[in-house]
Amino acid sequence: MSLWIHFVYSFFATVGFAIVFNVPKSSLVYGGFSGAVGWTLFTTLTSVQVNTAFANLVSAVCVALLGEIFARIEKKPVTAFVIPGIIPLVPGYGMYSTMLILLQNDFETGMQMGISTIFNSGAIAMGIILVSSLARIFKINKENKVSS
Amino acid sequence: MNELTELNKKKILRLALYAGEIMLKNGAETYRVEDTIIRICKSKRLKHVSAFVTPTVIMVSDDRFDGFSFIKTIRSRKTDLNKISLINDFSRDFVNSSMDIETGLRELKKIEKATIYSISTKVIWSGIASAMFALLFGGSLYDFVGAFLISMLAMVVSDKLNQLSETSFLANAAAGVIIGVVSIIFKYLIAPANIDMIIVGSIMPLLPGVGLTNGIRDFISGDLISGLSRVSEAMLVAVSIAVGVGTSLSIWINIGGTL
Repeated sequence: MSLWIHFVYSFFATVGFAIVFNVPKSSLVYGGFSGAVGWTLFTTLTSVQVNTAFANLVSAVCVALLGEIFARIEKKPVTAFVIPGIIPLVPGYGMYSTMLILLQNDFETGMQMGISTIFNSGAIAMGIILVSSLARIFKINKENKVSS
Repeated sequence: MNELTELNKKKILRLALYAGEIMLKNGAETYRVEDTIIRICKSKRLKHVSAFVTPTVIMVSDDRFDGFSFIKTIRSRKTDLNKISLINDFSRDFVNSSMDIETGLRELKKIEKATIYSISTKVIWSGIASAMFALLFGGSLYDFVGAFLISMLAMVVSDKLNQLSETSFLANAAAGVIIGVVSIIFKYLIAPANIDMIIVGSIMPLLPGVGLTNGIRDFISGDLISGLSRVSEAMLVAVSIAVGVGTSLSIWINIGGTL
């Protein structure tokens, strides 16, 4: 599949989730865009043999950065963009195959899959935290400058 | 209004608690809830307020003023980003203007009832999202149709069961069973689809990805108890879906079917 097709599919997937999560109408396109960019980046990175956890980290950083930017444009909390945006990255396939392999009594492969799934979701969380903590430091510095 | 009588102080604390309750019920992060409560109190000159928030309880107390404290337990949580963003706007307005407490309470009641999408819109879009996921993971057109229909069915069932029972375990497990059984039926009776793709697509709207990520975020920002409870809630949801899907698939495998 070409990257454009990936982009379009993940855009609609993200918009769908954004509606399930009640994202305000004016922010739907922004949320969809950040989700699509995150997923396209992730596919690009994994197709050039980057480790999946690292690819997740980089894509989550990208989604969170876009979220911070959109939050400033739209004057909405960052979560309204970041939560739908990371949905395509959430390792649903990893969770499912972990379960399926465990069902077939192959505990070794199951544990391997499970641990890599946990690593991947940890990497997503790390990416978001990295950006949001930096953004908070930046914001506090700005407020201090204004008040002094 | 600007005099800090005892009654007024109580009202301010109640308003802050109410705002926090709405935020927490709709899936806001712990630090954001604490921040909002304290900011609302400070703007009305209640300077010594501390708030303690976990996913199941909010405690607000003023340590300089006869030890007044308010506690609110939260039974169920969902994700409603519209309400979080409305409360965000509300707290900004409330802090920067001289809005009185009664108006504030009325605004909050309005926010609590706010809806933007009807249930049917949400169900249809969750179907579209799942179908798109089936395609993203490399599914065919049959998988697209299957994931679309099955995900909508699972959403309706889990929504109805969530209204009936207080624990979300039952709803998730039932949705899992339905996803498993109907995808097997779909493959063998309707169209030659790929069960893996259909199931992965349809469980996406149920998976606790948001809960897990928020939990880890809470851990890192220092809210250890919230982090623990959010992560374990996410684990419970994931396990209950796996129980549902797993049971139906393993019965199918045991009676001799292939996936």
